[in-house]
Amino acid sequence: MRSVIGEIVGGTNEVTVLDMEASIEHLSRGTIRHVDVLLVVLEPYYRSMETAGRTVPLARDLGIGRIFGIANKLRTPQDEEAVRTYCANHDLELIAGIPFDESVVEADRTARAVIDYDANSAIVTELSKVADFLMPGDGNGGK
Amino acid sequence: MKIAISGKGGSGKTTISATLTRILARRGIPVLAIDGDPNPNLSLALGLSDSANTAAMPRSVVERREDESGKTSLVLTDSIENIIGRYGLKAADGVTVLTGCRVEHSGAG
Repeated sequence: MRSVIGEIVGGTNEVTVLDMEASIEHLSRGTIRHVDVLLVVLEPYYRSMETAGRTVPLARDLGIGRIFGIANKLRTPQDEEAVRTYCANHDLELIAGIPFDESVVEADRTARAVIDYDANSAIVTELSKVADFLMPGDGNGGK
Repeated sequence: MKIAISGKGGSGKTTISATLTRILARRGIPVLAIDGDPNPNLSLALGLSDSANTAAMPRSVVERREDESGKTSLVLTDSIENIIGRYGLKAADGVTVLTGCRVEHSGAG
């Protein structure tokens, strides 16, 4: 089964970032069959982590080789520990821990991109490391 | 490289998608950002103003075709380049953003 988005992801040669629908029921073969890397966002509370936990085996079954966790909105060391433990127990490699970032709230309030609001904010710093990890070097050969 | 980002609603995945997109774009990588939802939240998070958000891709970018064995599948009705050229919006740093459309009754999608 194919999907519109799946066909576009598969058809373009450009580096593609797909912001998926929230429900994991939408994680279908048709949509993600051309995806190389799945980043699963986890907040440090149970229902969010459980959603991620259910996504991972589903994504593996669908054949995505590289699946990584990104912890978001961490407020305390305990938050970070909770996500770290959950990921360790669910065979999910955690590649970033983004602290709760007031810049995100402020950027949203003023209808700006976070990177335009504050290019040195914690979320930008942390995601720059994710970019380094996913695409070491620079843009060349980034297909 | 095709990167997908998932997470529970409200987890911040759209902000993360937009920010990662802009970071890669600032490194000189042309990035196509795709909003899996028909709502233009990703365009907003990328910094496009509300008025710039015209429309999601119409459903007419795909049609249902039946193959010899009677199985139906969705097929793009135009080239990828034309679809992106027509419905893609230009955001900062050279990012192109496409907003997805919902296709009803698509079975397993």
